[in-house]
Amino acid sequence: MTGSYVIDASDVTLALGSGAGRVEILRGVGLQVASGESVALLGPSGSGKSSLMAVLSGLERATSGSIGIAGADFASLGEDDLARARQGRIGIVLQAFHLLPTMTALENVAVPLELAGREGAFELARAELEAVGLGHRLTHYPAQLSGGEQQRVAIARATAPRPALLFADEPTGNLDATTGTAILDLLFERRRDTGATLLVITHDPALAARCGRVLEMQDGRIVRDVASS
Amino acid sequence: MSLPLRLALRDLRGGLAGLRLLAICLFLGVLALAGVGSLSAAIVASLAERGQEILGGDVQLTVAQREATEPELAAFSREGRISHITRMRAMAARLDGAESVLVELKGVDEAWPLYGSFRATPAARPRGLQVAVAPELAERLGVKVGERIRIGGAELEIAGLIAEEPDRVGQGFTLGSTALVDRSGLAATGLVQPGSLYSSAYRLKLPAGADPKAVAARLKKRFGASGWQVQDRTDGAPGTRRFIERLGQFLTLVGLTALIVAGIGVGNGVASYLDGKRGGIATLKLLGATSRTLFLSYLYQIGLVAAAATLAGLAAGALVPAAVVALAGDSLPVPPRLALYWPPLLASAAYGLLIAAVFALVPIARARTVPAATLFRGDLEPSRRPGWAVVPIVIVAAAAIAGLAIGTAREPAFAAGFIGSALGLVLILTLLGGLIRWIASRLPRPEHPVFRIALANLHRPGAQTGRLVVALGLGLTLFTTLAVIESNLAGQIRTTIPAKAPSFFMLDIPVEEIGRFRELARRSAPQGDLVTIPSLRGSVVAIGDRRVADMADIPPEAWFLRGDRGLTYSATLPEGSRIVEGRWWPADYSGSPLVSLDVEAARAVGLKVGDSLTVSILGREIEARIASLRAIDWDTMGFNFVIVFAPGTLESAPHSFMATISMPEAEERPFARAIANAFPSVSAIRVKEVVETVSGMLSQLVVAVRAAASVAILAGIAVLVGALAASRRARTYDSVILKMLGATRGRILAAQAAEFAALALVVSLVALALGSAAGWWVVVRIFELDWAPDWGTVAATLALGATVTLVLGLLGSLPALAARPARALRAL
Repeated sequence: MTGSYVIDASDVTLALGSGAGRVEILRGVGLQVASGESVALLGPSGSGKSSLMAVLSGLERATSGSIGIAGADFASLGEDDLARARQGRIGIVLQAFHLLPTMTALENVAVPLELAGREGAFELARAELEAVGLGHRLTHYPAQLSGGEQQRVAIARATAPRPALLFADEPTGNLDATTGTAILDLLFERRRDTGATLLVITHDPALAARCGRVLEMQDGRIVRDVASS
Repeated sequence: MSLPLRLALRDLRGGLAGLRLLAICLFLGVLALAGVGSLSAAIVASLAERGQEILGGDVQLTVAQREATEPELAAFSREGRISHITRMRAMAARLDGAESVLVELKGVDEAWPLYGSFRATPAARPRGLQVAVAPELAERLGVKVGERIRIGGAELEIAGLIAEEPDRVGQGFTLGSTALVDRSGLAATGLVQPGSLYSSAYRLKLPAGADPKAVAARLKKRFGASGWQVQDRTDGAPGTRRFIERLGQFLTLVGLTALIVAGIGVGNGVASYLDGKRGGIATLKLLGATSRTLFLSYLYQIGLVAAAATLAGLAAGALVPAAVVALAGDSLPVPPRLALYWPPLLASAAYGLLIAAVFALVPIARARTVPAATLFRGDLEPSRRPGWAVVPIVIVAAAAIAGLAIGTAREPAFAAGFIGSALGLVLILTLLGGLIRWIASRLPRPEHPVFRIALANLHRPGAQTGRLVVALGLGLTLFTTLAVIESNLAGQIRTTIPAKAPSFFMLDIPVEEIGRFRELARRSAPQGDLVTIPSLRGSVVAIGDRRVADMADIPPEAWFLRGDRGLTYSATLPEGSRIVEGRWWPADYSGSPLVSLDVEAARAVGLKVGDSLTVSILGREIEARIASLRAIDWDTMGFNFVIVFAPGTLESAPHSFMATISMPEAEERPFARAIANAFPSVSAIRVKEVVETVSGMLSQLVVAVRAAASVAILAGIAVLVGALAASRRARTYDSVILKMLGATRGRILAAQAAEFAALALVVSLVALALGSAAGWWVVVRIFELDWAPDWGTVAATLALGATVTLVLGLLGSLPALAARPARALRAL
C-alpha cells in the first residue's frame, strides 16, 4: 500500500450468504486511485459496482483483500471504527437522496459535521447550502423540497466536511434530464472547489465522459480501466 | 363462496405474521377474563354442590348464647334428623401454662356430621375428655397426639389431628383453629354458661323429597322472632360465596381494563397490517375491486384471526381452574369444581370480539380508501378519513361492552363507576399523548443530531407516542393504583392498627369474677391500660311497631337489624362517642329502659330520639325508648356498640364482661400466661396475631389482583413491541443514514435510550399522578382509611414498569441498529 493513493485496494473479494446460497459479488478487485482523480464506474446491473462502492466507503466489510482509504486500513476495522473513519474523510451521494425526514435541510447538512465534532457546524452547513444554491431553503424539510433540491442537499451534506473522497451512486438516477445535468454540474463544481477525489457509479456515458478515468465492471471484476478521452 | 371471502382466504395464504399483535393482544385479554370468570364460577359451583356438607345439613338454625327450648327442639325434630353443634371461642393451653392459643371450640353430638365425613389421624373421634385439634394448633402448643391440653376447666387428651372437617368452610372466617370435642367434653370445660359468648346450631337432615327452602322459610317464619338464624343448603356459605363473587367481579373489571389495553394493540396490529397491504389494495382497485369488496375482504381476514385468538384465549382461560388446582392443591379451602362454565366463557368471547370490533373497524374502513393512484404517485397521500358508516357500529359495540359489564355486575353502580373511570383515564391519556407530541415538536432542538432524532421520533408523522402513552399509561396506572391501595392497607394493618389497637381483646369474663380479673390485670401488667365493659348478644326484633321479620327490604346501612349484635349498658358516654341528638342519661339512672343508638344506623331506618326499639335477649323481648343518637368514631379500635342501654335494664340478665388492655409488648406473653392460668374460661385474643392473620389473607388477595392486573401490563408490552415493529422501517432508515454519515452504534443506541427514557419517564409520572389520585379515592373515600401509602413500594412498582418499558424499547430497537448499511440502503 502506498501513501500517494487515496484508494489503494487489492484482491478485494465480497461474498454474501452462506452454503448453497453463497453468492460471490466481488471476485478479486484491485484498484488504485490517486488524490484528485475523478473516476466513473460503469457496468451492467449486478456487476458489483454498488458493492465495490460499499466496500470502499466502509459501508460493507470485504470478505478478503486489503483496502487502504485515505491512509486508513479499512480491511482491519470494525463497524464502529469504519463509521468513525468515514467522519470527515468520505462523502456519499445516493440515487434516492436518503435525507433524514425529520430534519431541516440545514440540520441534514450539519449532521456529518457535528458527528465529526467540527466547530461551527451550522455556519459551515449554511455556507455549503448557499454554495449549492439553497440558501433560501435552509429551514425546509425534505418533504417540502423537490427531487432536485433534495439531491442538492445530499451533495452539500457529502461535501460540507471537505472529504478526501466523494462517492456518488447514480446521483441523477431519480431525476429528469435537465435537473440531472444541473446536479452533475454542481457535483463536479463542488469536487473541483473542495479538491476531493470522486468515484461515481453511472449508466450514463455522458457522465462517464466528464470523468478523467473510466472503469468497467463485469461479474465482480474490473474488466476495463481507461483514461477518459 | 363470496368474492370478498375468497380474496380474504387467498390473502391469508401469505401468512399471519402481520396479524400476530392482534392475535396476542386478544388472546391475553380473553384469557384473563375467561380465567377469572371460570375460576370464580368453579368455586361458587363447588360451594353450591357441596352445600349440604358445607352447611352441615339441609337446613341449619343458629341462635346465640342459648340452646333450643323444648318446644323449639320438638318443632325442629318434626322436620327431620337433628344434629346439635355448639361453637365458641376459647383458650387452649399447655398443662404447664407455658403457651395458650385462641381456638374455635366446637362441641358436636353423635349425629355430627350429617353430611360428609370427619377424618383425623389417627382415625379416632374424640369422646369424653378427649379433643381432636387442627394440626397447626398442636404445633403452636407444642403438643402431640396422646398428650393433654387444658380448655376451660377441663384437661383433654389429644385423640387425633383433624384432617377433614366437612362443615369448616360454612363457618366462615374464624380467628382460631378448630378444637373438636363431644358434648360431654364440652360440658366438662364448663365454658357454656349463661351469658358466655357461644352459638348453638341445629342442623336438619330432611327426609328425601323435602324442599329445604320451604322448610327453612317455614322455620324462619315461626322462630325468626326469637333470634334464630335459618339457612338452607342452597347457600351453605353465603359470606364466602358473596366474597368470591365480589372478588370475581372486581377481577373481571381489572381484566376488562387489560382488554382495553389489548384493544389498542389490536388497533395498532390491524393498522400496521393493512398499511403493509396498501400496495395490494391499490392493485386490487386498479383491477376493479370496489371499496366494499375490499372492506369485507379485510373484515373477514381480521374477523377470522380475531375469532381464532378469542377461541384460544377461551380454551386457555377455561383451563385456569384446573391450573389453580394443580398449583395450589390442598391449600384451597374450597376446591374449584372442574367443569366448563359457559356463562363466563361466552361473556369473555363477547368482550373479546366486541373489543376487536371497536378497535379494528376504523383501520379497516380507512384501508378501503387507499386510492389506486398510489401506485403511480407513491405513498404520499395523507391518511384519509374512515367514513362515517363505521362510527355508529363502533359506538354500538363500545356501548355493548359497557352494557354487558354493567348488566352482569352484582353492583352495577360500582361497575359503571369503574368503566367510567377507565374511559376517563383513556381520554386523559389520549390528550396527554397529543400534548407530549405537541411539546416535543416545540421544544428547542437538542444540539446533538442523534438526540434531535430521538426527540423527533416522539412527534414525527406516524409516531406511536399517543398509542404508547395510552397503552403503557393504562397498565402502569392500574398497577400504581393497586400498589397505592395495597401499601396503604398493609401499612394500616402493620403499623397504624397495632399503634392504636390494644394488645388484647378479652371475652367471656364472668360477671362475678370481674373484680378479681381487674386486680390480676393490674398486678401482672402494671403499665397496662385496662377497659372493661359488660357484653350481651341480642337481636333487634322491632323498630317502633314494625317487626323486623316482616320488613321486606333491609337496606345495607341497616346491618344492625340483621342477626344478633353485641349489646352493652353504660352509665357514662363511651369513649370515642359523641352525642349528636338527645341527651345522655344521668349516671344514676334507674327508670324505664332507654337506649342510645348509632346515628348512622338510626338514620338508615328513620329512627329518631323518642322512638322505640325492641331487642330480644335470650328469648326475652325488651322494648326501650331511644334517648340519644351518637356519632361513633370507629377508628378508635376500642369497644364500639351500636346499641347501648341505660343502667337498670340488663344487669340482671345473664352476661359476661369483655375487656381491652394495652401494654408494652414485653409484658404481653407473661400477661397471657397469667390470665390463662387464673381464668381458663376467658378468651384472650392477641391483636398482633389477628393482624398477622389478616396480613396473610391480604397478601393472598393481592396476588390474585396482581395476577389479573399483570395481563394489562403484558398487553401494554405487546402494544409497545407492536409499536416498535410498526416503526422499525423508519428506525432502520435513520440508523443506516446516521451510520453512513459516521455515527457509531453506541451513539445511535444512546439516542434510542433517550427516546424511550423520556417516554417511560413521562408515562410513569402520569401513572404516579393518576394512580395516586385513584388510590386516594379508594382509600379515603371508599375504605375511609387514613391516607398513608408506602411511597417506596409505589416508586419501586413504577420504576419496574418504567425499566421494563426502557429495556423492551431498546431490545426492540436492536434489529434496526444491527442493519448493515450497504444492504439496508439497497433495500430502502
